[in-house]
Amino acid sequence: MSVWEDVAEVGTDPALLRAAVEQHGRRGGAGALLRAARDRATADPGADVSALVRQVVTPVLAVAPETTALAERWARLGVTVALVGDPGYPSRLATGWPDTGGPTLVARRGAPWRDRPAVAIVGARRASGYGLGVAAWLASAVADAGITVVSGGALGIDAAAHGAAEHGGTVVALGAGHGVGYPREHAAPGGLFERVLAGGGTLLSEHLPDIPPVPANVRARNRIVAGLADVVVVVEGGERSGALVTAGYAADLGVPVMAVPGDVREPGSVAPHRLLAEGAAPCVRPLDLLEAVGQASVTSSDDSATATPPSLLPAAVRAELARRWPRPVRLDDLADATATPVGRLMGLITRARVAGELAEGPDGVRLLRAPRP
Amino acid sequence: MLATIHTVALIGIEARPVRLEASAGQGVPATRIVGLGDTAVREASDRVQSAIKRSHLDYPGGRVIVNLSPADLKKTGTGFDLPMALAILAAHVPDSPAGSMSETSHDGEEKPTPKKPKGPNLTPRMLRGVWALGELGLDGQVRSVPGTLPAAAAARDQGAEVLLVSDHAAVEASLIDGLRVIPVATIGEAVGVLAGREAPRPIDDLPDVVTSTAKDLRDVRGQAVARRALEVAAAGGHHLLMSGPPGCGKTMLAERLPGLMPPLHVEEALEVATIHSVAGMRHPDAPLSLVPPFRAPHHTTSMAGLVGGGSGIPRPGELSLAHRGVLFIDELLEAPRSVLDVLRQPLENGEVRLVRSQHAVTYPSQVILVAATNPCPCGDLGHPTRRCRCGRAAVDRYRQRLSGPLADRIDLQVELRPVERDQLLAAPEGEPTAEVAARVRGARELAEERWGPGRTNRSARGEAVRATVAEAAIRALGRAVDALGMSARTFDRALRVGRTVADLDGRDTVSVDDVEEAVAYRLPVTVPVG
Repeated sequence: MSVWEDVAEVGTDPALLRAAVEQHGRRGGAGALLRAARDRATADPGADVSALVRQVVTPVLAVAPETTALAERWARLGVTVALVGDPGYPSRLATGWPDTGGPTLVARRGAPWRDRPAVAIVGARRASGYGLGVAAWLASAVADAGITVVSGGALGIDAAAHGAAEHGGTVVALGAGHGVGYPREHAAPGGLFERVLAGGGTLLSEHLPDIPPVPANVRARNRIVAGLADVVVVVEGGERSGALVTAGYAADLGVPVMAVPGDVREPGSVAPHRLLAEGAAPCVRPLDLLEAVGQASVTSSDDSATATPPSLLPAAVRAELARRWPRPVRLDDLADATATPVGRLMGLITRARVAGELAEGPDGVRLLRAPRP
Repeated sequence: MLATIHTVALIGIEARPVRLEASAGQGVPATRIVGLGDTAVREASDRVQSAIKRSHLDYPGGRVIVNLSPADLKKTGTGFDLPMALAILAAHVPDSPAGSMSETSHDGEEKPTPKKPKGPNLTPRMLRGVWALGELGLDGQVRSVPGTLPAAAAARDQGAEVLLVSDHAAVEASLIDGLRVIPVATIGEAVGVLAGREAPRPIDDLPDVVTSTAKDLRDVRGQAVARRALEVAAAGGHHLLMSGPPGCGKTMLAERLPGLMPPLHVEEALEVATIHSVAGMRHPDAPLSLVPPFRAPHHTTSMAGLVGGGSGIPRPGELSLAHRGVLFIDELLEAPRSVLDVLRQPLENGEVRLVRSQHAVTYPSQVILVAATNPCPCGDLGHPTRRCRCGRAAVDRYRQRLSGPLADRIDLQVELRPVERDQLLAAPEGEPTAEVAARVRGARELAEERWGPGRTNRSARGEAVRATVAEAAIRALGRAVDALGMSARTFDRALRVGRTVADLDGRDTVSVDDVEEAVAYRLPVTVPVG
């Protein structure tokens, strides 16, 4: 608060601001200034958010490159920072917010935001094999159609969606700073985040590098997910799921919400079924999503079809997995159904997992991408 | 007079020969036992005295000294009763004036009509080459003591001509070849036999050896992956971890592992029986079992119960009772960390060394560890109908206990799911134990040819195993470990398991297929997600 007052006192004179920033940079870090600006912007609904933010944040970044460790840290992490209004800032995040603002800054690793249709696929961390399979199915199909898949980078549904859309430049909105590496499994070497970046995707964060994934931050990143998307589809979620938060933000922003019907007995179906009851459109196939973003006519391009590597699995195993898709199949059942010796089957599964053809979940294995007829 | 007889002292499962000397002479009536015996040994004098008198034999009236030699070896237990009684009787010269004099002074009431022993008494000469082991009752009955088997083996190795033990123990001792075993029910019978007045009775017939178990793999329906893991475990001697909700058949599967393992050789079976005999857990009449033992201690079993312990000479624990067989620990993750850690070193070395102030005892413990665990604290994670109530963090914490040093030594890890009822009914009978065991035997033979007798792929040296793996397989394994985010330790484990898979298929070189199968036998430490 005092920081903000200090800044307000010095006004907009660049030299004075610079001095104030340097002083606070030493005292509380540049992060304190950024947070103060954010607090001020959200506390005063009448204020011109982006102008306020720019007023405070610009000098921080102007000073940062030479004087703060922050810039170095960002550089080391390979992060590019864009403020509201900057060319690199996704324009759809800046507008449309009824009361709270969009993120002050967007710290990005990977490819810049592409202005093309985007679908957010969100859901529970503790997901069923069915949910994971459906998420992957939808994600791979819309990615093939040239649509960006956005999600929150969490375990479960988010991971299934990102994983299936890796090749299509998927966008991950993080609930923590880039330096934190959360969730651990995805930030690990060879993990989801590395694969997303390798596939031309993007990791976004509105935070300074070391901001931890406290629940408030993780929830807040849901508004970025909603803000980036043209349609939000909820696959699975419990009664108090973060997916409902995302859907709420989407409703605030006027972004259409869809939901995938689930097994009525499953607690993970509560969130999508409630959304359906409240008027969300059901999403039962990728085409529903394509229609929602106005790309119904676009069919998957031929080059992506030919780019699919040949299957490493015997025809019978592949056929059984395709038949059960997107549900996972237990290895025991797969061995029985295809009369494959189980030892050999396990070897094949390893090979196909290494090649990215299969995913292993709590209920067995499933094809990572939708089978082509 | 002086008489000498032989017996054994047990230090763990090791039987050390003991020379027992008795001297009966003139003096104030008293019996003294020297030679570092424990309380049970010192109390022998009362039992021996009563047993002799109640058998209407003469107890020396003068000073009796019993010496257990070597005198610096600590001796425990009640097995010295019988040899002590025999030596004292042999040392006694009943008709000497000293004997009758002391009898009057010592026991006036019985004096009038002592029923004289029929026939000649024992003489020191009759004890030549005689070994004896047994506890005495106050009425003169001979009882069994733990450790008959190692004692009999030691007696044979020391050139014993005959071994006198109780009826029960005689059955057990007769498992040892090359030794004449005479069963004696009472001290009177022992004297009669040694003095040549009575003919030795034949030993009860040894029940046939047990060569098969009733628990057949045929009874297990479904669970193809776990069955395969069980086969690989039996073939390579690999430890196995099964994770799955309660009721999915973990115990049922584990119980069937001994039947898949090659039957024990007679010497191995004797070794196993010896450990059980020492622990007092072997029914003397029980037939020798060639089926590897199966022990399933509860996860709350104390450290001493698992590795062995107790005061005096430590007794073998579950790890040793399962020697050459299977140690099954259900709910592994519920066991205290300290217990898990204590298992580690014996599993590595194949033996337990227990050091106490007086003794150091080594018990063998070459076991296949089969551990079972719930997938999460509540047990319902992954259950088709029940819903797991554990938080993700709780599940992760639970699972992370699996990454400890013990679990690192478990080569095979499989996740089990309950088989649903309709599936259970529809599923055909599984492959019977006999067929799987035949494959296992073939694989074990290949491994022994390669590494030497008694060695398995688990115990072989890492570099030696690696030398039998195709270059392409090593490269494929490296890729798999990287791509699936596994630890470097997975590498060594997968090579060994791959070796076993190749052996089951009768191939010399471990192929890409083999290591890829091997990689599949591992549990994710965190909950599997997308």
